[in-house]
Amino acid sequence: MTIMMPAPDQAVLARREAIVAALHKLVPGEGVISSAAEMLPYESDGLMAYRQPPMVVVLPDTTEQVSKVLKYCHENGIKVVPRGSGTSLSGGALPLADAVLLGLGKFKRVREIDFDNRAVVVEPGVTNLAISQAVAHAGFYYAPDPSSQIACSIGGNVAENSGGVHSLKYGMTTNNLLGCEIVLMSGEVIRVGGKTAETSGYDLMGIITGSEGLLGVITEITVRILQKPETARALMIGFAEVEHAGQCVADVISAGIIPGGMEMMDKPAIHAAEAFVHAGYPLDVEALLIIELDGPGVEVDELIKRVEKIALGCGSTTCQISTSEQERLLFWSGRKAAFPAVGRISPDYLCMDGTIPRAALPLVLRRMKEMSAKYGLGVANVFHAGDGNLHPLILYDANKPGELQLAEDFGADILRLCVEVGGVLTGEHGVGIEKRDLMPEMFSEVDLNQQQRIKCAFDSQGLLNPGKVFPTLHRCAELGRVHVHGGKLAFPDLPRF
Amino acid sequence: MDILKVRDAQDVEQAVRAAIASEQPLEIIGHGSKRMVGQPVATNAVLDVSALNAVTSYEPNELILTVQAGAPMADVLSLIDSKNQQFSFEPMNTSQLLGTPDIGTIGGMISAGLAGPRRIQAGGARDHLLGVYAVSGFGDSYKAGGRVVKNVTGYDVCKLLAGAWGTLSVMTEVTLKVMPRAESERTLVLRGLDDIAANKAMTAALGSPFDVSGAAHLPGSALRTTQGALGEIASPDQSVTLIRLEGITASASQRAVSLSTTLKSFGVAEILEDAASAVLWAAVRDVTPFAASGPRAMWPVWRIVTPPASGGALGQAIAKGSQGEVIYDWGGGLIWAALPPSADAQAAQLRKLVNAAGGHATLIRAPEDVRRAVDVFHPQPKGIAALGERVRHSFDPKTILNRGRMSRGLGT
Ligand SMILES: Cc1cc2nc3c(=O)[nH]c(=O)nc-3n(C[C@H](O)[C@H](O)[C@H](O)COP(=O)(O)OP(=O)(O)OC[C@H]3O[C@@H](n4cnc5c(N)ncnc54)[C@H](O)[C@@H]3O)c2cc1C
Ligand SMILES: Cc1cc2nc3c(=O)[nH]c(=O)nc-3n(C[C@H](O)[C@H](O)[C@H](O)COP(=O)(O)OP(=O)(O)OC[C@H]3O[C@@H](n4cnc5c(N)ncnc54)[C@H](O)[C@@H]3O)c2cc1C
Repeated sequence: MTIMMPAPDQAVLARREAIVAALHKLVPGEGVISSAAEMLPYESDGLMAYRQPPMVVVLPDTTEQVSKVLKYCHENGIKVVPRGSGTSLSGGALPLADAVLLGLGKFKRVREIDFDNRAVVVEPGVTNLAISQAVAHAGFYYAPDPSSQIACSIGGNVAENSGGVHSLKYGMTTNNLLGCEIVLMSGEVIRVGGKTAETSGYDLMGIITGSEGLLGVITEITVRILQKPETARALMIGFAEVEHAGQCVADVISAGIIPGGMEMMDKPAIHAAEAFVHAGYPLDVEALLIIELDGPGVEVDELIKRVEKIALGCGSTTCQISTSEQERLLFWSGRKAAFPAVGRISPDYLCMDGTIPRAALPLVLRRMKEMSAKYGLGVANVFHAGDGNLHPLILYDANKPGELQLAEDFGADILRLCVEVGGVLTGEHGVGIEKRDLMPEMFSEVDLNQQQRIKCAFDSQGLLNPGKVFPTLHRCAELGRVHVHGGKLAFPDLPRF
Repeated sequence: MDILKVRDAQDVEQAVRAAIASEQPLEIIGHGSKRMVGQPVATNAVLDVSALNAVTSYEPNELILTVQAGAPMADVLSLIDSKNQQFSFEPMNTSQLLGTPDIGTIGGMISAGLAGPRRIQAGGARDHLLGVYAVSGFGDSYKAGGRVVKNVTGYDVCKLLAGAWGTLSVMTEVTLKVMPRAESERTLVLRGLDDIAANKAMTAALGSPFDVSGAAHLPGSALRTTQGALGEIASPDQSVTLIRLEGITASASQRAVSLSTTLKSFGVAEILEDAASAVLWAAVRDVTPFAASGPRAMWPVWRIVTPPASGGALGQAIAKGSQGEVIYDWGGGLIWAALPPSADAQAAQLRKLVNAAGGHATLIRAPEDVRRAVDVFHPQPKGIAALGERVRHSFDPKTILNRGRMSRGLGT
């Protein structure tokens, strides 16, 4: 473990029994879990190198219960870690030894489907896929589609602002929300938005989305749904050089085409995926693009032709075009199974998530190769090429002493490189604990202080999910102080009219 | 009046720091074209950012544009237009509605956050602002977001700044997502529908798989005195309902035909192409029926955002109760209402109806004495208002920036 969590509050731990008893009163029945054995499944999220048993797990199933639990914890200075399905890849839902783990798994109802307003009201524990399933009979779906969509909760999606293969055209979670209910750490229940396209006043829903469980607990969500496109077809295009594939992506976009999805895999990822699912991927290419076009049949057919021509112009060596739904899904099968496929060729892997300007791709891949040699660890790349979101998978073996550390150092170097070329630390997986200590690579102390002040507006004691996102924690009183820089005008030469 | 014309982010920092020291609030302006929107700002010192007007970088292949916040809209629009790109949220040009010169800056556009017809398909200004450099009310320059389209590093501060009317920070540089322009557009025109039937037609269109990018309804009464493109397609006292489809030519024209079939119970749709279609949407976007040069010049204008499927009923009730006129955009989700002049712009009755529908209303155009008398921005439930105020305080504890612009309480 190289990432340090805040030291547990011994005074809170000493009161554990009383806290458990109090929580039992607030959430009766089976809503409180306190035995070590039963708490085991909550010890970690998708960042499995890190585990920590929580002090106690609470599983409320009404907003009122959430409110009571938070109010109690607020009044008693007890930390709280919210959790959806626990698929976070950045450790956002990692428990703390002295914190209540607040699971939203019982919030499983779809509350309202309103086709006329193209809106669905759901509880946070509903899975991403279940929303699309609930409206599929009328031809609708919910657009953001993280690969984890069978398991991850919509509450977790909002907290992480999750994206997916189709984000390029349809946006991330934040672009597909209409309203939400959140419970503040004080227990106060706030509702923002609704079935309207815009909220009134400041865009509080916008700041809550992607706040990684640090601002409030999300207890209801209204999402926007869309009609399913009439058809979707995919091209699978191989290139002898990564640069050529990168050029193809740029050329497709400059031709004014925004595909439903545009994914790239490098050689190691292609080989791992092909060995696993036999999708018919070409093995003699350096890069493979899967480009999906969706919309009305005439449009898709026409754009397929245009993309094929652009690819040829960029030196593509192979190009297959799906002619059936089955074939389209086959093309995708390897990409969608890339993580487990890599899991087969390596005992463990770390999944990174930086975003870069697309033009920097060849450079970044070249530098990554050098780093791979330096660290002696393999790396396979899958890449949301359309929006520059890289997912390097670093291969390591946790049973070999020191390899986790090596893999983490390699990962940190990759993310530093992303920032260096004008990109960012995370495109969709969140900062959590994983990238927390790298935040200063991207943000100055002033930048981070402003973000933490926003946190203070929601949670003045810093009790909600502490130790995540921010490398150093400041007290709100200290952050709120305004420095007065002398009384005189500091800019005598500024033009005044 | 003291006007500080800043040259760079450091000037902005210094101006804000001096303002903190002298406890002198600042009104932030780009070109000042929207100074008559919002509660009157309680200050006599103006911070003018219009000299921060450079294009920092424009990379059409990356769909990314970075400009200083004072860059003129006109220049920026012609720059991206030259690469056949656009802001897909179709921000409105307020000059006709407000009766101001045709000026304006990118920072002002984002701070006002007034998205146009394509909002229903492409989102608003908040969805396209990817990164900012700004100066807070602490007098500190900070950055948030980034220069790539996909980013979840840290809180999404950009969302707060879009539509904040300059009350949280002074933006000095912004990065926006741009999108390719569609090759073609088609507009279905249905005539003579009442507001309820039109609302149903628009709901059916938006619930179809044909990827509608605009759905507006203009009742006959609002068109009667309208000049320009909308006036030309209108027949006396007959309403028009407009539904737009965009994309590659083959697709847009095929969808137009298919959608006409879907909507046949609402009448036979006429189909307009490209330029003839585009001028109509520019007029809808800029709310020309209520233009400051037209017969409704003296009428206060409200912008109402409401659940779309019941917009027709709400609009009808507003028009009837106020003797005013309404037009609909966003399939009924956006209602512009011009009401006969009164001391309070009929705020109380209007907001009662809007609240019951689950919407909110902003007074976009009204004389200053009216704006002093009513809440320009929709009053919020206590909890949200208090949270919003704490968020504002976290950026500007001394209320230096645009004091009172969004909230009447703060101005006094
Ligand atoms: C195999 C695999 C593939 C993945 N693919 C993608 C992908 O394609 N795109 C993508 O974006 N992500 C992906 N992820 C990451 C992950 O699935 C998402 O981040 C997801 O949104 C997390 O949802 P969850 O319900 O599991 O949340 P959790 O892991 O339980 O929690 C995530 C964070 O959200 C907070 N949180 C959860 N629920 C709430 C709530 N109701 N209120 C407040 N805070 C809350 C937690 O405190 C934590 O900080 C993948 C993960 C895996 C394991
Ligand atoms: C040819 C042409 C086409 C146009 N097309 C459009 C269009 O499509 N869409 C569009 O929106 N506008 C368009 N405009 C301009 C539009 O009418 C608005 O006037 C303009 O966007 C507002 O800018 P402003 O600088 O005048 O705002 P101001 O009135 O100066 O400011 C508006 C608000 O923003 C705040 N503000 C201004 N700058 C900053 C900043 N840097 N940081 C923080 N807060 C700030 C102010 O305090 C105020 O609350 C166009 C203008 C022209 C000339």
